[in-house]
Amino acid sequence: MLVLRYKKYEHAATPAPPSSNNSSTNPPQKLKPLTPSQTSFLSSALRVNQAGELAATLIYTAQTPPVVRREPHLRPLMAHMYEQEAAHLATFNALLARHRVRPTALYPLWSILATGLGWSTAVLGREAAMACTEAVETEIGGHYNGQIRQLLEMVAGWEAEGYDVGDEFRELIGTLRRIRDEELEHLDHAVEHDAQKAEPHWLLTGAIRAGCRGAIWVSERV
Amino acid sequence: MPSPPVASRSAGAAAAAARRILHPSPLRPATRWATIKAATTTRTLTTSRHHLPASLSATTPTRTSSRPYHSYSHPPPPGPFTPIESLLLAAAYRHVPTHGFSPKALARGARDAGYLDISATIVPDGVFSLVQWHLVTQREALAARSAALSGDGQKGGGVASRVEALTWERLLGNAEVVGQWQEALAIMAQPSYVPASVKELAMLVDEIWFLAGDVAVDPTWYTKRASLSAIYAAAELFMTNDRSPGFHDTRDFLRRRLEEASEIGNLARSVREWLSFTTSASTNVLRSKGVQI
Repeated sequence: MLVLRYKKYEHAATPAPPSSNNSSTNPPQKLKPLTPSQTSFLSSALRVNQAGELAATLIYTAQTPPVVRREPHLRPLMAHMYEQEAAHLATFNALLARHRVRPTALYPLWSILATGLGWSTAVLGREAAMACTEAVETEIGGHYNGQIRQLLEMVAGWEAEGYDVGDEFRELIGTLRRIRDEELEHLDHAVEHDAQKAEPHWLLTGAIRAGCRGAIWVSERV
Repeated sequence: MPSPPVASRSAGAAAAAARRILHPSPLRPATRWATIKAATTTRTLTTSRHHLPASLSATTPTRTSSRPYHSYSHPPPPGPFTPIESLLLAAAYRHVPTHGFSPKALARGARDAGYLDISATIVPDGVFSLVQWHLVTQREALAARSAALSGDGQKGGGVASRVEALTWERLLGNAEVVGQWQEALAIMAQPSYVPASVKELAMLVDEIWFLAGDVAVDPTWYTKRASLSAIYAAAELFMTNDRSPGFHDTRDFLRRRLEEASEIGNLARSVREWLSFTTSASTNVLRSKGVQI
């Protein structure tokens, strides 16, 4: 399934050969070269997104067995959220490889921390596990929104200067919007499943959100 | 350092050129630009570095993210050399097999390009720029050779064999200047040029893995590039002393090193698989015994 998604994405993102036929009828697109600050923003954005989705898949992988053993009816929900995160990870893996962005150097560290976070919140109970999802997805939703805002500013800048906006960036913004919406859907699921009844709710979500922000800050750089 | 008057510079030009090559400084491009002004009237003379044409000031090594976003539709950013530098360096490069990576080759190149010998001093890092020219042009030529390799039907061999073929192609790119290559390595090893040289090596191995079709974006991304860098550097050094016909000793050396690296990689993978299997198996055993984990 992952392979299929990768192929599908690849097909959508590649400027397909038939488009060159279109460009022979239409004037060729006038695209502005990316500035160094834009390329470094794009590479750190893709890198941190990949790290985030990796962490998300590992959190759900670690949460699923303890949560499902106590609350078997949550199995479809956990599986659904995991599958969406795995698809996001595959998307970003493909984007990183395609645009030649290096992965984060702290990959093994994030793997260990994410697994630890998922497992420990799941052992604390369903409410804590859902509070973890709530905290993470809140941060991630805001983070994706910030990226989309910056990309839209970039695109608006090009349009204001009379340049065209290629499919590459329309696709990217579309992908980020879709993924953000799916992440916020997870947030809703978590709240529906008693995330806010977790015992010290403010402490759990506060600590996890602070950790997320720190991890995002580091992953954008390293 | 204040910029010396232009008149006095033409007198001690040779000495000044030598000094510049030995002691590059941020002010250099500006002063050098003033020198070349007579030869190239296309650009206005500016003495402040901040008012230099963007493409020229870009020649001073810039510290950007080492792995920037690569766009397929947008035009690529300007390369490391300005058009006039490219002209001079391309002309000078033709003299490398006879004169080496030396100021003499640069001067001959400037003359061939229709400028005064001293024009070569506009090249920001002197002979190192000549070495860099070789590295950059050979790296950029690799994409075309990779396409030719796939045309030959060698694509079926998988990533590892393509990495070997591409690394070999790149080593063959040194064949023409192999007699001068130890000298070039010595220039690259000068402390002020080490960062640029290492970066160029990193870009080369990244290019090889990319062209070979490797899409792994996990920690092996780093280990693959590190091991190929070490192997490539060793093979390059080996090649400078290789007298065998067609450098087949170097080819064997390269093959052996890559095989060793893949054996180590396989070993590491086996250890990791064993660890993760053991961990998950013992967790599941504990869970089946009713432990609340």
